[in-house]
Amino acid sequence: MVRILSIWLPRLPLDRLIRKGDPRTNGSFAITAERKNAARLTHLTATARQAGLAPGLSIPDARAICPDLLTEPANPTWEAALLKALARWADQLSPRVALDAPEGLLLDISGCTHLFGGEAAMGAHARQRLGDIQIEGRIGIADTKGAARALARFSQQPVTIAPAGRTSETMKALPIAALNLSDKMVAELRQTGLKTIGQLYAVKASELARRFGLELTTALNRLRGHAPDPIMPAPKKPSFAARMSLPEPVGYLADIKNVLGRLAASVCQRLIQEQKGARRFELTVCCVNSGDHLLSIGFARPCFEPGPIQQQFARALNDLKLDYGADWFRLAAHYVEPIRLRQMRLHTEAEAEDHIAHTISTLGNRVGFDHVRRFQSYDSHLPDREFFQIEAVAKTAQTSWQPRPRKRPLRLFQIPERVRTLEPDRPPKQFEWRYHTYRTAKAQGPERLTPEWWRDSDNRIRDYWRVQTEDGPRLWLLNFPGVKSPDWFVAGRFP
Amino acid sequence: MELSSLPHGVTIGANDSLCPKRHGVLTLGDTIALAKGRVHEVLGESADCFALTVAANLKGPVIWIGLGRDIASLNPCAVQDFIDPLRLTIVEAVSRQEALWSCEQALRAQGIQCVILELVRGIDLKESRRFQLAAEESGTIGLILISGRAHTSAADTRWHCTPSFDGEMSWDWACTKSRHGGLGTWRVKWTEGKDGSNTIHLVATAAA
Repeated sequence: MVRILSIWLPRLPLDRLIRKGDPRTNGSFAITAERKNAARLTHLTATARQAGLAPGLSIPDARAICPDLLTEPANPTWEAALLKALARWADQLSPRVALDAPEGLLLDISGCTHLFGGEAAMGAHARQRLGDIQIEGRIGIADTKGAARALARFSQQPVTIAPAGRTSETMKALPIAALNLSDKMVAELRQTGLKTIGQLYAVKASELARRFGLELTTALNRLRGHAPDPIMPAPKKPSFAARMSLPEPVGYLADIKNVLGRLAASVCQRLIQEQKGARRFELTVCCVNSGDHLLSIGFARPCFEPGPIQQQFARALNDLKLDYGADWFRLAAHYVEPIRLRQMRLHTEAEAEDHIAHTISTLGNRVGFDHVRRFQSYDSHLPDREFFQIEAVAKTAQTSWQPRPRKRPLRLFQIPERVRTLEPDRPPKQFEWRYHTYRTAKAQGPERLTPEWWRDSDNRIRDYWRVQTEDGPRLWLLNFPGVKSPDWFVAGRFP
Repeated sequence: MELSSLPHGVTIGANDSLCPKRHGVLTLGDTIALAKGRVHEVLGESADCFALTVAANLKGPVIWIGLGRDIASLNPCAVQDFIDPLRLTIVEAVSRQEALWSCEQALRAQGIQCVILELVRGIDLKESRRFQLAAEESGTIGLILISGRAHTSAADTRWHCTPSFDGEMSWDWACTKSRHGGLGTWRVKWTEGKDGSNTIHLVATAAA
């Protein structure tokens, strides 16, 4: 027999602030949310209730009643995070926990109750433990999800239990709204004079379906256990993180390295179990006087060994300033990817790959991974668009480099540098560039390149000349024909 | 690959008893020898070309370190005449200090045979000594391309490379300083392989 326990957290947003120690929650205080085109009160403190306020009032109305009311808008993101944390907390009651957003949890407690001494004791225990962490909860236990939910929300007791096999009867007295239907449907039902769930039992299902649609009958069937409605716990994501709190703060580098070593070993063990590696590790060091310090390192390829982690963190730890020591550490792995295990030693190519990956990690952790790059070829006829740079750690399909039909300069200036023409010609016989005067000995060109018409950036035609100067350097001169000012530029330098 | 030396035909490093044989030497042509596990300085207009020639004669990844603008102007489409650009990893340092640090780390790393560092001001004694120690550990050839002034350093050799008028791909390489004696000037010329592939031959010409 399946038994479901539903936990309703009627004042979750408020409890979140109370847990944070917000001083406003001691007085008249309310959480607000946008409802029916106005910011309205949703959750109130006891003081606010005593002042005569009720959920659903708009803020101006509420202020008129209680001038010293303080409000804060609800923060769904944080509340969802708290609910998720509570779902993890609920693991202590049952292994199958599902979220019932926005403010509830559903637990499949079949076969768990005897551990707590029966259903009633279990409900009381859950409520007690929730109270310990300053969260108010109401409990409903029944055979189906819908019934447990309805009991938690609509019976006035803190813990309500529908005895096994008698769910339908227990639900009789509850209002229609307990079916968790849309507001419109509830209003329609009310118009027909149906007020409690018990009254619905008396009506034929086919008639209900004809009048109100399948939504109602499905909900009713599920509530009574005639249609399956199983609990579906969210798949558990393995977390690759480890933390350590110490009874006394430590400040010596050797001690911190020791802590890191243990954390790394623990995280790596889990990574290896899952055949995973991580490309980024973050170490949070909670310093006694200056708060959290976040250190992070990256890897060019997924890492699953404690050695490199310690090695890469060494520099960051060295720079860390701890005046009074730190007593809390957490190491978390991010960008977790599957790894491919290989046979070492026999595979020299793989070993060389490891070496370069290690070097890229080392360099990237100091100068930044965006500064360690590789070239990637690109299909374009313009010399400045034939290639681009990507981060060396980025995973890419290895593009091969096709030989270019024409020689390109080894140094290509992204912004061509203007020259001062001393003896004009095509190309200039004598010109000044970078405070040097050059005489053209030989020139070859022009190589005329048309712009890429599908891009509207620079749509001038370009003429490139390969110029051998008498002074040595072989330059690549650029000129835009058809433009009024016949300026010349140095676009690059040949080897 | 063949290369003729100066009339006085001095060979550098290779046959010298002082040359560290631990990591061997890299021979360019028959006469130019660069000690592996050592740092070499390269000056002049065509220094980058010298570096690529060395890289082309070595295997494995190449790390090229430089400051922002210098590194941005490197064109892989021309690099591929010498080496496969996939072998190249570039490191853009934001300061000289960072560039020096990166170079030392790269030199120290195993499995990388060629590290190229581009600087304006040359390395001094202390910096070069550190590089030497790092390179000796791994057997990497370190090439310091200097566009400005070179200083007294512990580098193994110092080269001065300029384009020559002989043709499109020809240069004059002058060894102006060597710790193992033997200086010289070479005229070096590349010609494309007959099959049109990226393999390029060094053809001997009379030295200037």
